[in-house]
Amino acid sequence: MNVLIIEDEKALAYELELFLSKHNYICEVCFNGTSASEKIAVNLYDFILIDLGLPDYDGLDLLKEAKKNRPEAACIILTARAEVYDRIMGLDLGADDYLPKPFSLLELQSRMQAITRRKFGLVNQTVNLDGFLVNLTDRTITYLTTSVTNITKKEFDLIAYMILHKNRTLTRAQLSEHIWGSVVNDDYDSNFIDAHIKNIRKKLSAFAPADWLETVRGLGYRIKTNV
Amino acid sequence: MKLKTKLTLFNALSKLVIVTLFVLLLPSVIESINKSYTDSRLIKQRDKLLQIVKEKGIKNYIADGESYGSYLPLKEEYISLDEVEPDYFADTIYNDRRSVERDTIDYRILSHTFKAGKRNYLLEIGKSTETINDTTGPLQTIAFLILLGMILLTILADLVYSNYILAPLSRIIKTKLVGTKFPSFTTYNQVKTSTSDFRHLDLSIHRMIAQIELAFQKEREFISNASHELMTPISILQSKIENLFEQEDIADELKVRMLEMQRILNRLKSITKTLLLISQIENEQFLKEDEISLNYLLQDLYEEISIRLQDKNISYELALAQDITLINVNKFLLFNLLFNLVNNAIKYNKANGRIMITGELVKDYYQININDTGIGISEEELPYIFRRFKKIKQSLTQDSFGLGLPIVKSIAVFHNIEINVRSEKDKGSTFSIIIPARLIRS
Repeated sequence: MNVLIIEDEKALAYELELFLSKHNYICEVCFNGTSASEKIAVNLYDFILIDLGLPDYDGLDLLKEAKKNRPEAACIILTARAEVYDRIMGLDLGADDYLPKPFSLLELQSRMQAITRRKFGLVNQTVNLDGFLVNLTDRTITYLTTSVTNITKKEFDLIAYMILHKNRTLTRAQLSEHIWGSVVNDDYDSNFIDAHIKNIRKKLSAFAPADWLETVRGLGYRIKTNV
Repeated sequence: MKLKTKLTLFNALSKLVIVTLFVLLLPSVIESINKSYTDSRLIKQRDKLLQIVKEKGIKNYIADGESYGSYLPLKEEYISLDEVEPDYFADTIYNDRRSVERDTIDYRILSHTFKAGKRNYLLEIGKSTETINDTTGPLQTIAFLILLGMILLTILADLVYSNYILAPLSRIIKTKLVGTKFPSFTTYNQVKTSTSDFRHLDLSIHRMIAQIELAFQKEREFISNASHELMTPISILQSKIENLFEQEDIADELKVRMLEMQRILNRLKSITKTLLLISQIENEQFLKEDEISLNYLLQDLYEEISIRLQDKNISYELALAQDITLINVNKFLLFNLLFNLVNNAIKYNKANGRIMITGELVKDYYQININDTGIGISEEELPYIFRRFKKIKQSLTQDSFGLGLPIVKSIAVFHNIEINVRSEKDKGSTFSIIIPARLIRS
């Protein structure tokens, strides 16, 4: 997968490139709109990540160009300019997703994977975890033939997110950012991830031990699987 | 007391005092007018008589040394001529009593001596003062009544005129100071008035508000710019920490310290995000085009907070007398408003406590009450709970930075929703959300 990263903050562009390269994306980086415009005109990309706050170019214009020249590419807007107008304009102009800064790299990765799933029409993406079949498309969990019905929306979101980043320890901060993303509130250190995990374990262990859902002491949680 | 009432009262009282003084002074005024009028008449009569004497001689009145005297049938005037000692002299007007045919009457008397044919004569012309005094009583009453009527008329006129002249002032107060969303002046609508003072006042208020508005605007811009500027470095730090976590060769001990950094960064992120949200709301960066059922919104909220309720074993009751459909609102913001209020009801509740959410239509608005059995807010702290970064004593045990209720306030103001609080220390609090009819699908 080819990714064009358009970001004028060099440090951030570097971190994005580092992270995505690690996850097998082939990255190109532009620090300004002019060179990005040139690259869009000549190269093929699967993903174009556009920062709206470029010094020399209106990011929305760049988005228009990308949509015109590279309709097959998925465009994700990354911006600290979280103005509602920008968000609406961006999505109206055909951006596939919108991530306000500061965003988690894992969140970016999961959005990119969701877009990939959408684009390639992956149906019934199912993961088998020691007999538990987690269907990420229709959001169901079954154990052998019995469906696990009492898992809440939030709990499923957590499981899905951990499956997406399987075998990697996710910190409580990363997990809570994913599931509380839309709420702005006054708590900065109270996440209820532990309680959620406890509930998930309790619900699943009614069928079978869910040992694949591991606690990494002092750090967070991970789903361990060879699948 | 209103200005026009004060003016009218002062006018009425001052007139009343002046009129009363006038009426009290009336007898002496009448008396002195009468006196001078009578005196001048007496002098005229004297001159006339002396003229007659000069032309026709004294014999016309006095013959053979007899005195002459004459009075009107009702004795209100008399005239007498007597011969007196050659060296006797009089030329005066005074009050005195005279007995005329068994009647003693008060007269104003002019005494005047003059020579005629080598003899000295004394002329007396008297005018009864009784007739003068008789009129003062009724005159006083009549004057008082007439003046009282005049006062009432002028009070009425004053009232009408001050109403008219002060109308621009009430218009200035109504349109510029009361009932406007403060500060929300974009254009200057001049209040029509011909009074230059009011024009000056109107313009001064407008200028002052414009300045205040500018200050508000600057503050909003600053918060907005500052939070935006902070977002980029936070973003970089967050990515750096996340990438560090990706590295396999990092010792667990170091990871724990990175986790600590991530936590602190989250705190910074949370504050910045909140400030940005508040500034976006205040800069009207959100649309109000959503339509949503209140019940649905509260169900959604329950899902979000159920884990928190479970954590403290708090019972949660939701009883809406009727469900309503909210229109012209921003769903995301309303959700945040409710989330923060209910989250506080959990945070400041006691373990095994209770939260009760009720809702009902009252007249033309809908009232939601969020009641908890928590630690409550003390009376002295109640006025400050919506202030930014104001951490009240109760919240010091919580991981909060004093922006939860300011978010609520900003969202409420943005939607013209009213929020009221009743609280009793150690008993709990009730936050009431008053949703106006405009936001309810009828």
